[in-house]
Amino acid sequence: MASIMVACSSNKKPIATDTATEVAGSEVDFKIEKSGAQLWGEVCNRCHIAPSPADYNDTDWETISLHMRVRANLTEEEITKIETFLKSAN
Amino acid sequence: MGIDQLYQNLEKMKKLLMTLIILGLGSSALAQTYNTFEPSKTQFMLRGYGHTGFEYLDTGGEQESTFLGATFAPIFLYKHSDKLMFEAELEFELEGNELKTGLEYADVMYVLNKHMTVRAGKFLLPFGTFMERLHPAWINRLPSRPLGFGHDGIAPASDIGVELRGAFDLGGPKMNYAVYVTNGPRIKDGSEEPEEAGMLDFGYYEDVNLAKALGGRIGLLPLSDSSMEWGISAYTTNSTGAEDSDYKEVGAFLWALDLSYVKSITPLQGVVDIKAQYNSSNVDTATYYEIEDGISEPYSFDNQSSSFYTQLSYRPIMSGSDFIKQLEFVGRYSDFNAPEGAEWEEKSTQYAFGLNYWLSWRSVVKLSYQTTKMEGGHDSDGTTRTNGLFVHWAIGF
Repeated sequence: MASIMVACSSNKKPIATDTATEVAGSEVDFKIEKSGAQLWGEVCNRCHIAPSPADYNDTDWETISLHMRVRANLTEEEITKIETFLKSAN
Repeated sequence: MGIDQLYQNLEKMKKLLMTLIILGLGSSALAQTYNTFEPSKTQFMLRGYGHTGFEYLDTGGEQESTFLGATFAPIFLYKHSDKLMFEAELEFELEGNELKTGLEYADVMYVLNKHMTVRAGKFLLPFGTFMERLHPAWINRLPSRPLGFGHDGIAPASDIGVELRGAFDLGGPKMNYAVYVTNGPRIKDGSEEPEEAGMLDFGYYEDVNLAKALGGRIGLLPLSDSSMEWGISAYTTNSTGAEDSDYKEVGAFLWALDLSYVKSITPLQGVVDIKAQYNSSNVDTATYYEIEDGISEPYSFDNQSSSFYTQLSYRPIMSGSDFIKQLEFVGRYSDFNAPEGAEWEEKSTQYAFGLNYWLSWRSVVKLSYQTTKMEGGHDSDGTTRTNGLFVHWAIGF
C-alpha cells in the first residue's frame, strides 16, 4: 500500500544528479560540471531575476527554454541543464 | 475483551483495509489515466509583459504630470518541435489620445545543430544587449531607456532579414555569436521632416534599394561562472537612400561595445549588476537642403553620433529582512551626442536614480528620479534641463 501511495504521489524524475555539483568522468578529468540549479542562478540572472520553477509546468518550460536559448544565445548544455532543473523543481 | 468484541474490531479493520485498498487502487487508476495524457508535440504559449505608472516632469520650469496609460506587450510562442519555433511580440501603447500598436518582432527560428540557430523574419538586432535583452519593462531596472535608444536613438532595435547565431563552451569561458543580413535603414533626406535630415530610420521596413545591411555581434564570457560578458557589435550598409535618389551612395557604419557583470557578493550581502553600452554611428557625408525665406539652401555636416550608458544596481538579497531583500537600488548615467551642424544637433547627459521593490521575480514597482541636460535638440537651440519623477509598475507574464 505504501508503495502504491508513494508511486502515486509524484512521477518526477530524481534530481540528485542535477542539483549536486559533480566531477565529470575521465574525458574531462579536471573540469567541474555545473548543475542545472547552479546554471539557473548564474545564467538567468544575467538579464533578469531567475524565474521560479513553480510558475510553469514541464511543457511550458520546454517552450520557454527554446525561446530563451535563442534570445539569450545560450549554449545547448546550459539550456538543457537549466530546463531539466526547472522541470524537476516545479 | 470478549470474543464478539474482538470479532467486531477485526471486521472494522477489515472494512478500513478494504476502503484503503479501494482508495489506493482508485488513485492509482486515476493517476494512470492522468499519466496517459501526453502533452502535444506542438505548443502555443502566450507570454509578455505590461506596465503602467505616473510621471511628473519639470522642463525648464514648465511642469506636467500624468498617469500613464498601460502598455501591453503580448508575446506569442509557437513551439512546433524541439528545434522549430515561431515567436512574435506585439506592443499596444496609449500615446496621446491614440492607441499605438507595433510589431516588435515576428520570426521563425530553427536549431540547425548545437552551435547554430537560424532565424528569419523581423527580429531584435543583437546590436549591443540593451534592445535585445534588457529593454522590456519588467527587466529594465529603470522606468526609462538610456539616451540613444528608442525613438530618435542611434542604436538599431530590430530589422527584417535572416540571422545565424549560436554559442560555444570554451571549457569554462563561453562565446556567443550572431551574424545577420537585413533590409537596412533608410536615411531621412529632409523632404518630409527637414529637422531630421541625415538621421537613419530603422523603422522603415520596406527596402528602398538593392543594398542590404550586414551585422553581427560577438560576446565573450571570460569567467567560468558567466558573471561577466563583453560584446562587440557592428552593422554596416553601403546604401541608405532610395535606388533612384541622390542618397543611394550614402552608406553607414555603426558599432557598439557592451559589458555586463552580475555577481552575488557575500561581503556586500547582495547581487551587484553592472551594465554598459557604447554606440557609435557613422553615416557618409551628404548634402541636405533647408528652406530659409522660401529659398532652398544646401548644407552638409559630419554625420557622426554616439551614445553611452552605464548602470549599477544592487539587490541586498542576503539581508535578514524579507522587506529589504526585495529592494533594489539603481543608478544610471547616459549621454548622447548628435552631429554638430545637423538640424538635430544635440549634446545630452542624463542621471537617473531608482529604488525598486520586487513583488516577485517578474513584477516590480519602480520609483525613480531623473535629470537630463540637453543642449540643442529638435525643439530648441539653447540648454534645457528636464527633471522627472517616475513611479512605474511592471509585470512580466
